[in-house]
Amino acid sequence: MEVGLKPGEISLGTTLIAVAFDGGVVVGADSRTSMGGSYTVNRVTDKLTYVSDRIYCCRSGSAADTQAVASIVTYYLQLYAIQHEEEPPVRVAASLFQELCYKNKDALSAGIICAGWDKHDGGSVFGIPMGGSMHKLPYATAGSGSTYIYGYCDTSFRQNMTKEETIEFVKTGVALAIGRDGSSGGCIRLAVITKDGVQRHFIPGDQVPALGVI
Amino acid sequence: MDSFLPVQVSWTPQTAASGSDFYPYTNNAGTVAGISGGDFCVMAADTRQSFGVGYLINTRYQPKMFKLSNGSVLGTSGFYADGLTLIKRINQRLEWYKHAHDKEMSTPALAQLLSITLYSKRFFPYYARVLLGGLDLEGHGVVYGYDSIGSYEPCLARATGSGGSLIQPFLDNQIYRKTPLGILQAPHTLDQVKAVMRDSFTSATERDIQTGDYLELFIITAQGVDVEKYDLRKD
Amino acid sequence: MVSRVDVPKGGFNFDNYQRNLILQEKGFSLPKPTKTGTTIVGTKFKNGVVLGADTRATGDTTVMDKNCFKIHYLAPNIYGCGAGTAADTDKITKMVASQLELHRLATGRESRVATALTALTQFLFRYQGHLGAALVLGGVDVDGPHLFSVSPHGSTDKLPYLCQGSGSLAAISIFESQWRENMERDEAIELVKEAIKAGIFNDMGSGSSVDVAVIEKGRAEVCRGMEVPYPTIQKVDSYKFKPGTTAILSESFRNFVTITEGDAMDIS
Repeated sequence: MEVGLKPGEISLGTTLIAVAFDGGVVVGADSRTSMGGSYTVNRVTDKLTYVSDRIYCCRSGSAADTQAVASIVTYYLQLYAIQHEEEPPVRVAASLFQELCYKNKDALSAGIICAGWDKHDGGSVFGIPMGGSMHKLPYATAGSGSTYIYGYCDTSFRQNMTKEETIEFVKTGVALAIGRDGSSGGCIRLAVITKDGVQRHFIPGDQVPALGVI
Repeated sequence: MDSFLPVQVSWTPQTAASGSDFYPYTNNAGTVAGISGGDFCVMAADTRQSFGVGYLINTRYQPKMFKLSNGSVLGTSGFYADGLTLIKRINQRLEWYKHAHDKEMSTPALAQLLSITLYSKRFFPYYARVLLGGLDLEGHGVVYGYDSIGSYEPCLARATGSGGSLIQPFLDNQIYRKTPLGILQAPHTLDQVKAVMRDSFTSATERDIQTGDYLELFIITAQGVDVEKYDLRKD
Repeated sequence: MVSRVDVPKGGFNFDNYQRNLILQEKGFSLPKPTKTGTTIVGTKFKNGVVLGADTRATGDTTVMDKNCFKIHYLAPNIYGCGAGTAADTDKITKMVASQLELHRLATGRESRVATALTALTQFLFRYQGHLGAALVLGGVDVDGPHLFSVSPHGSTDKLPYLCQGSGSLAAISIFESQWRENMERDEAIELVKEAIKAGIFNDMGSGSSVDVAVIEKGRAEVCRGMEVPYPTIQKVDSYKFKPGTTAILSESFRNFVTITEGDAMDIS
């Protein structure tokens, strides 16, 4: 049995998108953390979480569970980097997430996207939804807000987008979800991960594109 | 009763609570107290109205005592909407009484009317803790205490509502004067009773989170009803 | 002869958990722990952090303590405000304070806020929300000022200003409308006091007075009762009992020491 949120638990009702492009990945998320569905505990949350120098995870579900899982994975990846004397590949990070989420599926409420760049595969994106399966994808969406943008993603996603096009695709996707999903909101946070490192973008609430506003 | 068959009760809060989430009561809390003296009666209530669970204050000033006639005052606490409805019904009955008998209803008669009104809703009660204070036919002060379905008795001093359990023992001590030496029945002056009442409420406000903001005193004498207002803690 | 003594290993004991569940089914409800309806806040300022708390502890609708202390010591440079189950916040802050002290003695370095945060979150996460402790954690270490909130399930938030407890909605409204970056020390204290007062007056679970802790580089100051927004209303009358009010029904005296006169001591 998978578990839902426990009473009083803080949740990341969320919109997450991660897209691979030639040379890297773009990950994006809203910034709302809520409690009991009506109170925003944190309006500037960073749900894009560092796990190694060129790998980030996007967290949805229980804040406590996903933070704990992410910090365990970070620890294992630090160990990997020392033992192998090289940066861990994204698929290793994703497998760690998958294993933790699968083996503890009874106790966890976590939907995770793991994305980043490594020298073997370039930019890659892995979806690890609740239950602990793992899916390598050209792009992944997750969180309560993702249901509102399936249509957008299906029609707008193209293979071989440039970095700038990918950023625009992710930003628009999060903005659309924020507009419809009550549990997503605040600002848009982006991270562009390439060979050269991580570049962070921040779009404040008053500059989030007001799409679909009549 | 026509038959010995069990009476079918149409609605009880218990069945509704277990069958669905519908629960028509809210506890707006608050405290009411009354002390009777030889030729006066002092009724008191705080004016804070709060919203059941959730530590919310609806308003800091919502009087919960109502002057029903020149000789009687009704104080309510508990579910404020039920209290208001009760007052409406009682006031209408008082008006009919006035037209029929060309006089105001006496406090003891009013006490009986209040009892039967409460009992008329035996299986869907008014969720109101009420206290009736006034002067009886001889002009002596009297306080009637009730439960929410109409059981009542006259008493010297009574406190009810959220801070009632804090105030009642103090009144037992100060008004009934019960000591191991027996009952020291001291004659209470109006000023003494007012002081006891004010100190009761400042103390209850210290310990009951649902009591506070302002204290209203209704002083009932042969001359009529006087109202006084005092500060209470607002935290 | 028994020479070995079984010393409890410490930690929590769940021996009675199953028994209590059965008792609960039979209608014997568990004793309610004191849940402090609370307002606790924290904010960063130019060169430090300010923490604030009210001082009311409630049990249901009764005030159990009119002047309780909710700002807990963790290290000389780190303090934490606690909301939720009083027993849990007291216990875990004491445990972490002890861990930090041992760590300081072992390393000879000042404690870091991140160390306290990790200890708290890992502990709370292990108990899966069964410990009802919500904290506002603040301190200044080698990396400068830090402010975090910790939830009972073990999640954390890092923000420039934050509130917790039943009065947090009232308090956050003050911060959201008046907070500015890089405030002076006095401005920050004033804002924290306003936020706690919003909780004290608008949340029935919070009350009494404002406690404040200011932590700067190399200096931490805890001010108990920094503001008492509503003075105790004086009683109109005195209720002192006259001597003799309590009847003496019978009296009995007993000597516990028997004085025996002996021979005088030889002092020659």
